[in-house]
Amino acid sequence: MLKLVRLENIGLKYGTGPEILRDVSFALEKGSFSFLTGPSGAGKSSLLKLLFLSLRPTRGLISLFGRDIASLRRSELPSLRRRIGVVFQDFKLIDHMSAFDNVALPLRAAGRRPESYRGDVMELLHWVGLKAYAHMLPPALSGGEKQRLAIARAVVAKPELLLADEPTGNVDPALAERLLRLFHELNRFGTTVLIATHDPNLLKDARLEVLRLEKGQLH
Amino acid sequence: MPPSAVISAKAQPMRTLTLAMAVMCYLATLALGALMLIEAAVSQWVSGMASEATVEVRQLSGSDLEAETHKALAILASTPGVSSARALGSEDVSALLEPWLGASPALAELPLPRLISVSLDSKVPPDLARLEKRLIADVKGASLDTHLLWQSQFTRAASTLRSLSLAILALIALSATALVIFATRSVLDANRGVIEVLHLVGADDGFIARAVKTRFLRSSFVAGLLGTLGGLLTFAALGLVGEKGDSGLSAATADLLIAAPSVAVATYAVFLIVPVAATLLSMVTAHLAVLRQLQQS
Repeated sequence: MLKLVRLENIGLKYGTGPEILRDVSFALEKGSFSFLTGPSGAGKSSLLKLLFLSLRPTRGLISLFGRDIASLRRSELPSLRRRIGVVFQDFKLIDHMSAFDNVALPLRAAGRRPESYRGDVMELLHWVGLKAYAHMLPPALSGGEKQRLAIARAVVAKPELLLADEPTGNVDPALAERLLRLFHELNRFGTTVLIATHDPNLLKDARLEVLRLEKGQLH
Repeated sequence: MPPSAVISAKAQPMRTLTLAMAVMCYLATLALGALMLIEAAVSQWVSGMASEATVEVRQLSGSDLEAETHKALAILASTPGVSSARALGSEDVSALLEPWLGASPALAELPLPRLISVSLDSKVPPDLARLEKRLIADVKGASLDTHLLWQSQFTRAASTLRSLSLAILALIALSATALVIFATRSVLDANRGVIEVLHLVGADDGFIARAVKTRFLRSSFVAGLLGTLGGLLTFAALGLVGEKGDSGLSAATADLLIAAPSVAVATYAVFLIVPVAATLLSMVTAHLAVLRQLQQS
């Protein structure tokens, strides 16, 4: 199977501090569905940041879509990032833009015209239960609603790789189940999914691969 | 509904930028108005000077001043390009001297020269050098003053004022450019979170530069209109406060703004350059500054 993501002996440290990640190696096959788990401070978020090209490793090799990211030019990053959807733990919504425009942002960034994506965005907002909130600004939404909005934005461009950092942290179990179904649906259509979580309910499905990170190392 | 602007209108330092740009545009409007007033005055005064000359006939010993004056008038009447010639009476000459010498009866005792006011055809002017030679040769004590010295001094002074206005306009443009570069950096700093999100959703530098440019376009155009309107109101107030028939700045300003439609339209079109130039300068500078900033980050 084609390896969509490949990490070899990754080390990461911030400045002159200790290594947050040490000798991390794993691969994600195209179309796989995996969880990344571990206690708080284990390095899950840092590992995801490496995967969505927000950080560069201090050492080791990261290959995304068959490309060594160390060889990427700055101008090549946008096209690669458009193939990745990310759900951030802190949502990273733009407060002065409506819920609709926040979700549509990846499509706008890819050069799509508003008339070409209006229907798709409204359908997705309906799916995450926020159709009635389309014109509202994020500060007026609850934590759970913001989380659903962040998920809608991450999946709207049907990315090849979906990375989610605690995507069900602020929603009730029923909605968490519904959102997980959305991730599975995307995965069924070929998206490779990696979810960082310490929610034991999400990890119930024993068929799925689980990467355990503790003190910066995979176990 | 059009999509929301990526950079908020309330983002720092857009309001400060709008205010500062409005002041720049106000100053640019004043400088441009001053330039137009100078141009109008120069063309009016120079054409007036070019269409006038004065013949002076001085009393020489043994000469008949009246007869020499008549000779000069005859020469002028026969010269092509001279529209009219009128000898000023001794009262007129005394009146011309009055500001310097006072209204003294002693003036009548002085051997005052006779002055002939000559109107020239500005379309087909006479050969002034030839006319001067003829007057000197045929009329005792005659000299021709073509106002060339005045004209050249006036043109030089006008040219200095014109250069000064253009230099002020150039300095304003330079300051506005520096202001936009500074504001662009501040916008990127103040919107670091938004820029980060844009990068993470796959926006390239061009998309971000266009988003910032669009915000600057709106702010600069509004600032340009406000500044230009303020400048026009200042000129209008200047035109209205002066007395009627006044030949000073007020009248010149009123002539510029409340002129015949053909002149007024051209004047307002020139003033419209200010908001358009401010918007273009702002957009191009912001776009280039954002690209440079992002590539350095």
